[in-house]
Amino acid sequence: MSLAHERVPGPAAFQRRGRIRPGDALLYVVTLAAALSGVVLLALITREVLVEAWPAMQKFGLGFLTTQAWGDHNKTLFGAKSFIYGTAVTSLGALLLATPISLAIALFLSELAPRWIRRIVAPLVELLAAIPSVVLGLWGILVLGPFITGTLGPALHGSFGWLPIFASKPTVGSNMFAAILILTIMIVPIVSSICRELFVGVPQELKDGALALGATRWEVVRGVVFPYARAGIAAALILGLGRAVGEAIAVTQVIGNNVAIHTDLFKPGDTLASRIAGQYQGADTALQVASLVYLAVILLVFSLIANLAAQLIVRRVAGRHQIR
Amino acid sequence: MKAFVTRRKRLAGVISVLAITASAIAAVSVTGAQARSGADELKGAGATFPAPLIAAWQQKYEAAKGVKISYNPIGSGGGISAISNKTVDFGASDAPMTPDQFSACGGCVELPWALSATAVMYNLPGLPNNLHITGPILAGIYLGQIKKWNDPKIKAVNKGVNLPSTDITPVYRSDSSGTSFNFTTYLNTVSPKWKSQVGRGTTVNWPAGVGARGSSGVSGVISRTEGAVGYADIAYALKNHLKFFSVQNRAKKFARPGLAGIQAAAQADRKFNPQSNELSIVNPPGSARFAKAYPICTYTYVILRTKSEKANLLKPFVTWALTTGQQYGRPVIFQPIPKYVVARGKATLKKVHQ
Repeated sequence: MSLAHERVPGPAAFQRRGRIRPGDALLYVVTLAAALSGVVLLALITREVLVEAWPAMQKFGLGFLTTQAWGDHNKTLFGAKSFIYGTAVTSLGALLLATPISLAIALFLSELAPRWIRRIVAPLVELLAAIPSVVLGLWGILVLGPFITGTLGPALHGSFGWLPIFASKPTVGSNMFAAILILTIMIVPIVSSICRELFVGVPQELKDGALALGATRWEVVRGVVFPYARAGIAAALILGLGRAVGEAIAVTQVIGNNVAIHTDLFKPGDTLASRIAGQYQGADTALQVASLVYLAVILLVFSLIANLAAQLIVRRVAGRHQIR
Repeated sequence: MKAFVTRRKRLAGVISVLAITASAIAAVSVTGAQARSGADELKGAGATFPAPLIAAWQQKYEAAKGVKISYNPIGSGGGISAISNKTVDFGASDAPMTPDQFSACGGCVELPWALSATAVMYNLPGLPNNLHITGPILAGIYLGQIKKWNDPKIKAVNKGVNLPSTDITPVYRSDSSGTSFNFTTYLNTVSPKWKSQVGRGTTVNWPAGVGARGSSGVSGVISRTEGAVGYADIAYALKNHLKFFSVQNRAKKFARPGLAGIQAAAQADRKFNPQSNELSIVNPPGSARFAKAYPICTYTYVILRTKSEKANLLKPFVTWALTTGQQYGRPVIFQPIPKYVVARGKATLKKVHQ
């Protein structure tokens, strides 16, 4: 963020002593092309998505967002309501679980753990992010699902059954709760490794100062480390949220793919990305294809909003920090 | 001066690396092009349903004719997409293409080339294989109206079986699937309520239950969920040691999805759909002739482009599959297709040219 305020080197930067340096010129051209290709690609994708979604956008309009249907018996009525709900519930749920876990991992690895533990555990946590999502989804069906129906579900229902989110005992492992757990596993390594870097980057003098004033470890964390890294933590969480919102394959394997809105997390549901991944290939009618791409438009807008929100948060928090 | 020389060297290094990369890319794309235009290979993709049969064909055909067949079982929907996008030489689907899919494909023909059955599987530990079930009960289960295994309707057709009070969890395919098409076509014929509320298709708006991706996903969920019901091709059910139902046919007899049941269901000549060559043998009549018929049988189809670079390889292969190839189906529960279907296939194949 702060880089944007620094002087941006232009073509003049590699014209020293009146001579163009070929290496720098090459670097400039290559990086410029890379940067531009990103912009062009985004524009092309957006255009393609809008063109493909247009028949559905024309037919359903904004009512698509509030319609809960996916192909009635005539295959003419489609709507995104239940998928928007499913996406919101699973990604926010995952973020809620992943935040404390990630912060704890990052704190332990940056502040508390002895060096040899740090050296073993840190790469292992990051390795978690390298598991292909389809493998994680399979694990979700074969291991996590039975664990939820057999152990975790009955326990949660037994102790917290008065909460509407645990209102029933799960009868099958494919449900929104399984999707939340899978997404949590996916975003913890991302958020925790970014946060660890942030915490490591907190100047030692600040921490030493606080310790010298008699602060405990926890007070140092609360009073120095967290405030210093606040903007970065917020950005890391938004990054994790983006991952959760966009994940398709692992979610489609475990969520149960039902067009329904339940407050009970032990019931099946579906998300925008999961529905697109499941049905885009071989959709029966042109209208179904267009409706699926309409879901992609919603997803695009979702991520646009999330990114803007992230930038706003980072700017606000960073600004406040500077004033101090 | 020295610095200048090093810089030149470095630049030269960068350029040579770029050149190597470029030539490597060129080499890869050349070999890719060769593989694509490889004289003796046919590429296919599509339904998982006929995959065991095509696997048998691959060996026999390569041994007999020296032509390599590759097949990627990505699902019926994926097969239709692949042939529409011209990434394969043939597509395979258990569901006939819809008019929209035909127009998206732009010059494709479809013909039935294999015949088998969809099994309805269940997970009830301690209970025997081949419990009895009827079409209306299956519709009730998938509509979410029959919820417990000890429902009086299920008890009535399974006298003497101690059915538990376990919840029934219907499992369906979440991806675009020809097996779903076959199963929902059957439910359409046995339940007016299903027909008016849900209908048939490779994807439908399932009123109850949970979805799973692919036959492997469905069998994964069933095998780990007590009380689950789901459907897949019979070869898949057998291979994964899942229990499956004997389903009541219109002659009021309970039939298993074996070769005899399929053969009985496919007896009488039916009418083809003029565009898609769809041939439905679901829920055959109740006359004595069909007493052994299993009611959820299906033809599965191959999709070809009428203008195909590899027509000279494709036509002999599909002709072989329709005739000689049929005998290799029995071990994986594919019943040889009747003569009139072979004739129709050969006639359709005439439309394919280079």
